[in-house]
Amino acid sequence: MSKKGTSTFILQRASAVLLAPLSIWFLFEIVSALTADYATARAWVAAPWNALLLGAFFIIGALHMRIGLAEIIVDYVHSWAKDVFLFINWLAALGLIAAAAWSIYTLSFAG
Amino acid sequence: MADGAASKRPLSPHLQIWRFTVTLAASITHRGTGVVLYGGLLLMALWVIGLALNPALFATVSAIIHSPLGFILIAGFVWSLSFHLMNGLRHLYWDSGRGFALKTATMTAWLVYIAATLATALVIWAGYGGSA
Repeated sequence: MSKKGTSTFILQRASAVLLAPLSIWFLFEIVSALTADYATARAWVAAPWNALLLGAFFIIGALHMRIGLAEIIVDYVHSWAKDVFLFINWLAALGLIAAAAWSIYTLSFAG
Repeated sequence: MADGAASKRPLSPHLQIWRFTVTLAASITHRGTGVVLYGGLLLMALWVIGLALNPALFATVSAIIHSPLGFILIAGFVWSLSFHLMNGLRHLYWDSGRGFALKTATMTAWLVYIAATLATALVIWAGYGGSA
């Protein structure tokens, strides 16, 4: 790893603190949202508070999950493949952020 | 080691010689649920992409959600999030330098398993309209 241990440690904890209340909200909402039909689900995401909280959950969650999986990768992979996995891990997190942000933006303002 | 050569230095005790404890189980489960949530968030991204940009993708994802597999995926995701959330709070408490006494750590580990399971039952029951 590059010399970023302290800032990564802090980002992991800061994101955890933000994700705790977001996760409680998420647990209250998610089953009915996921099982809703197309129109109901679109209206749910497009509601301003849901859009804001769901977007925050995706973005902060992506940062948190990237750090967590990177920790597991460096624990178990010691060959050249480590850097490949760490790179894919970054791509997955950035892809998740881009996909969620674009989708929620579209549902909020162009839906 | 970093250069790939076999090390002659002694290794720390490995998986098979640890005595099984609930604190050990909670530690492994924290990692396991973290990986499940990683996969779950990626699947949820497909749901929201389909919802916003691709009705055919949404129809496919929705069909899976309403199948028995979908129920298992949702229940697994909810339990994983409940566990990771509660055990994460346990980790944050540890970060304050407290909660490490053997009795305390054992008790909070059991508490996290029980509370996560109860929360999952409640979320699933309420989420499916109190009928499932």
